[in-house]
This record gives sequence, structure tokens and C-alpha cells, in this order.
Amino acid sequence: MDARNNTQEFVISRVFDAPRDLVWQAFTDPERMKQWWGPKGVTVVHSKMDLRPGGTYHYAMRTPDGTVMWGKFVYREITPPSRIVFVNSFSDEAGGVTRHPMAPNWPLQMLSAFTFEAEGAKTRFTVKWSPLNATDEEKATFAAGHGSMQQGWSGTLEQLEAYLAKAA
Amino acid sequence: MADHLSATFAALADPTRRAILARLALGETSVTELAKPFRISAPAVSKHLKVLERAGLIARSREAQWRPARLEAGPLKDAAQWIEHYRRFWEESLDRLETYLKTIQTKEKKRGRTK
Repeated sequence: MDARNNTQEFVISRVFDAPRDLVWQAFTDPERMKQWWGPKGVTVVHSKMDLRPGGTYHYAMRTPDGTVMWGKFVYREITPPSRIVFVNSFSDEAGGVTRHPMAPNWPLQMLSAFTFEAEGAKTRFTVKWSPLNATDEEKATFAAGHGSMQQGWSGTLEQLEAYLAKAA
Repeated sequence: MADHLSATFAALADPTRRAILARLALGETSVTELAKPFRISAPAVSKHLKVLERAGLIARSREAQWRPARLEAGPLKDAAQWIEHYRRFWEESLDRLETYLKTIQTKEKKRGRTK
């Protein structure tokens, strides 16, 4: 599956007031990644990177309540300084692929892509991701839905939001 | 362990099925009614409903002969919750990255001035 033509994606984009090389370094140097990776309040306590296709980024985050969460990227494509494709999953100390400890039915792996685009002196960073599951049914669904899937996920969720609020 | 969310996402991957769900959010209805806005046959709609039913996204009444379909909120909520969690993870990481990039650029500028 290619992240570029997989339209079943979620997207977040942000423009940083920093040159592209610097933003690229923030994602490709484990020491730099440690300084910002993870949600508010977490501390990255482990950050090991082997930046090459097939290589991994293995990390651990300590949350404010002391819980340590492991995760990893398995890199698929690295095109400096513009693009990185990887599979993101929860992990453990040994570097295995695990499910989320608090949500065991969450998808095992997320296919993710970073793009870095220079916009003058600034940099547009975009992350796209989608659940990566290799069930036969899903493969068939992807094949059948190709090209016709113009409307993204967010639209559906907006449509269903009212319903979910009502059903809460 | 069964990966319920995978089934949910697979079912949601099809635009017709998403449209069916959006229609069902307005209330339960029959296959015939569901087929109307789409350029597909009632049997095709039935197939989509089967996928949605297997994923637990809808339930179909066995009492009435027209077997009305209705939305089941549970799996949808799980899916929405997962997406929200991952989105928040990224938004907050990127907030921190923004701060980090500002900090190091300020440091580099200061260093440049003392040279």
C-alpha cells in the first residue's frame, strides 16, 4: 500500500517558522526528536533511531502519572529533506509490535507519511496516517474503493458527530 | 483478540457505506429507502448492509418483514475516539515542536551575535 494513493487518510498540516533543514533534523536526529516528541507533559526517556528503509525509531515516553509507553516507527521510505514514510505502532522495551495497553482493540499499526515543503523561509510539515490492517476484507475494500473515495474521513465523522452526541 | 476497530475502519472505507451510515443517523429505514439516493440496486445495498452489520455498525430488526436497519453507536464511538486520540497526540507534539524550533533558533541567533 502506498501512502500517496491511499485516500483513507487523516491529515494534519502545520507551517513552522523555521527553515526546512532544521525541521527535517528535528525528525531525523534522535536527540532532537527527544526534545519535542509526544503530547504535552510527557518526557521521552528512550530515543534510538536507525534512519534507513527497514530501520526503526524506537522510543519510550513517560507520562505525568509515571506510565512508560513504548512505540516505534519502521521506516519504509526516506527522501531527504522532503519525505518520510513509516509504519507506526505501539511497542515494548524489546522493540516488538504491541497493542495499546489501555485500548487493546485499537489498530495495531498506522501507515504514516511526513512531508516537508519549503515555503519561503518557512516550512510546511504534513503528517498523514491511516490504520494499516491486512485483513482480506480490507484489502478488497481498498481495491474496490480506489479513486472513488473523494470524501475523507473527517467529513464522515462530522456527519456522524450529531448522532454520536445524541447517543452519548 | 479480535480487532474490532479494524473491522470498523474497513467497513467505513467505502463511501457508499459512509453515506448509508449518514442516512441511518437520521433514523432507521428499509433497504428500499436506502437504495433511493444511490445509483445502485437494492441487492447491492443489502451487501453493504451485511458488511456494516458484521462490523457491528448497524443492527437489523428481525421482527418486521422489511427488516429496518439502524445505527449502532458503540463501534462508531470507538473509532471516533481512536482518531481523536491520535490527532491530539500529533497536535500536541507539533505544539511542542514549534516551541522547540523557536528556542533553538533564538539560541543560534544569540551565538551568531557574540561571534
